[in-house]
Amino acid sequence: MSAPCMHPSCLLLLLLVVCRHAHTNLVSVTENTTVTTEPPVETLSPITPPVAPLTPLQTGQKSVVLTGENHTEKVEVVNPVTLNLECVWTGDNKRLPNITGYWTKDGKTIESSYSNTQLQNDRYYLRKEFSIMSEEDLGTYSCIFGPKAKVDFILAAPYLGEMRDKPIVSYVGDSVVMICKMDEKKSKPINWNWYKHNGTSKEKIEVDSPGHRYKITKDEKKTKLVVHNLTESDSGVYFCGAVYGIGTSMGHMQLRVITYFEPLKPFLGILVEVLVLVAVILLYEKTGSKKENQSGPEGNPDQTSNLSHGENAVADGHSGTARQRKV
Amino acid sequence: MPAAVVMDKAALPLDGGWGWMVVLGAHISIGFAYATPKALSIFFKEIQGDLMSSYSDIAWISSIMLAVMYAGGPVSSALVNRYGSRPIVMLGGLMCGMSMVTASFGSSIVYLYLCIGVIGGCGLALNLNASLTIISKYFHARRPLANGLAMAGSPVFLCFLAPLNQFLLERFGWRGSLLILGALMLNCCVAGALMRPVLTPTQKKLKEQTNGSTTIKDCHIKNVKQFLDFTFFKDRGFVIYLIGNIMFIFGAYAPIVFLSAYAVSQGVDEYYAAYLLSIMGFVDMFIRPGTGLIANSKWIRPRVQYFFSFAMVFNGICHLLCPLITSYPLLVVYAVFFGVGFGMVFALIFECLMDLMGNQRFPSAVGLVTIIECVPMLLGPPAAGKSQCTVTKVVLKTIC
Repeated sequence: MSAPCMHPSCLLLLLLVVCRHAHTNLVSVTENTTVTTEPPVETLSPITPPVAPLTPLQTGQKSVVLTGENHTEKVEVVNPVTLNLECVWTGDNKRLPNITGYWTKDGKTIESSYSNTQLQNDRYYLRKEFSIMSEEDLGTYSCIFGPKAKVDFILAAPYLGEMRDKPIVSYVGDSVVMICKMDEKKSKPINWNWYKHNGTSKEKIEVDSPGHRYKITKDEKKTKLVVHNLTESDSGVYFCGAVYGIGTSMGHMQLRVITYFEPLKPFLGILVEVLVLVAVILLYEKTGSKKENQSGPEGNPDQTSNLSHGENAVADGHSGTARQRKV
Repeated sequence: MPAAVVMDKAALPLDGGWGWMVVLGAHISIGFAYATPKALSIFFKEIQGDLMSSYSDIAWISSIMLAVMYAGGPVSSALVNRYGSRPIVMLGGLMCGMSMVTASFGSSIVYLYLCIGVIGGCGLALNLNASLTIISKYFHARRPLANGLAMAGSPVFLCFLAPLNQFLLERFGWRGSLLILGALMLNCCVAGALMRPVLTPTQKKLKEQTNGSTTIKDCHIKNVKQFLDFTFFKDRGFVIYLIGNIMFIFGAYAPIVFLSAYAVSQGVDEYYAAYLLSIMGFVDMFIRPGTGLIANSKWIRPRVQYFFSFAMVFNGICHLLCPLITSYPLLVVYAVFFGVGFGMVFALIFECLMDLMGNQRFPSAVGLVTIIECVPMLLGPPAAGKSQCTVTKVVLKTIC
């Protein structure tokens, strides 16, 4: 801890340290506290004290130990947070005492992030603190050790659960239910919104739109959009958005509205096929039996005549009770 | 080779010729009867979402359909005795088609229970009974083979309907799919048209001589007696057959219901677990006619009841060994053996009843058997689920 002193800049530094420690939630892995390595704050004047954020800003810590060449880590961000990312690399065969490491965001190098890391306890360390305040700050952050090793941190709002990839098919005049669910294990969103894609952009769906055709129900982790009295123009892509402090997580599904004529065509086709086949079979039988009647009873052994009563007593009397074992 | 029809004494069944077309008709009819309740489950998730009810409520549709199909047995037998197979199968086909078409307009779960479950089930009941009866009229020497070929309709149609239903669901949604499925079921009418009625020459002469009124009256009296003929219970063979069947059916359907879940619990991927049932169905498709062929051979035919018992024991042993299996390749082997056992039993199940009861009593007997089998079939899978046991009962059946 710094010794108490009366100099203004020293007081300022002390104030900063106190504010910072008051808001830390998680324990930092590194032994050096961030205060001593942080450059002195230059932007604030000695007179005005630093403005504390209105809502307590959380800090988080993510540490990954890399043994191979690549690793990807998914990080779920729900609210604005100051995130300390740390990469620990076990090194390769060469064991150089010094390595250049840097950070990238979404593939673009962060210029101020170049640093030389030294081999400590047989490992290389790269640490950086990132302020994740809004949706633009989300993305893929990578720490790169020389040309050799890389760890990707994918920062995103919680993904929606399994979304339906096949289109929902419904009929004109019918109603349809579209559901979006957030996984049980993930945090619940602040709000849910529904949007419809109208060719160029997403248009938000309001419940009190003219016609009262939409109904939105919002549970904690589930939302339902019910559309009544469907018309063909209702076809298209619908988006559901789970709103979090950091941004909105979107899921999408496609709706197809068709008329009854579409399935009617194969239906009529099959119906015609059935009628044709039945007619053919019955006609064949009639012509066959006519031939038999013309040529007399000593005809074709393949022919049978018609009566359908169960009066098989004469025919089957002898086999009614005896087992038919003879082949 | 078609047996020559001798005109001056009782005609023997054809055993060939047009009989094979009748087998085709029976194949189609039985195929729809067994495959439709199972294939409908592909639509359940969609219907559940649209009608906003729980999955178990929707699953009742299949159960009701199967239950009505089996419970409608005696009524179907009576109608077949009175009118013959052809009009009954055609009526059954029309009812099934209509049931699906009306169901496609449904907006409540009870409406679906009535349309698909009750009306559809009745249609299928008419189909099933009439198809089995006409086989016994057309075949004698080759009856086991004919039965095997006809019963093979069940796995063949399931294999064909399952992917078709999936395709229709994606294209047309569940309503359009039910509409098209209704049209497909009208093909049972084609099957019915194939089932040309059989008449012996003496009966034809009888019809020509009398004016018809007295014979019809006699017919009525006889049919009332045959409707639910409880004198069957006096037949020891029939009772043993019935008890054995009840025990078998109680346990037989549970492995099908739980096989994928068991595989997943052993660490198999869900996709591969679903394959197991397809393997079983595929094997079943070939085993049924194969069993019919074997049962037709001169060594087995006189002892067909023992062959049937063997098939049931084989099934039971197969399921008893199942808990020992933990790896996927062995599960595949189990699925193959399961298919073999299942196919053998179902190829012979009605052949043995025909063998026991004879042509005249068969229609009524099969009606009675199906209505009694309704109970274990509905209770089996839930009971197995409740006991949380993956070992099914071993069924032993001996026929004297």
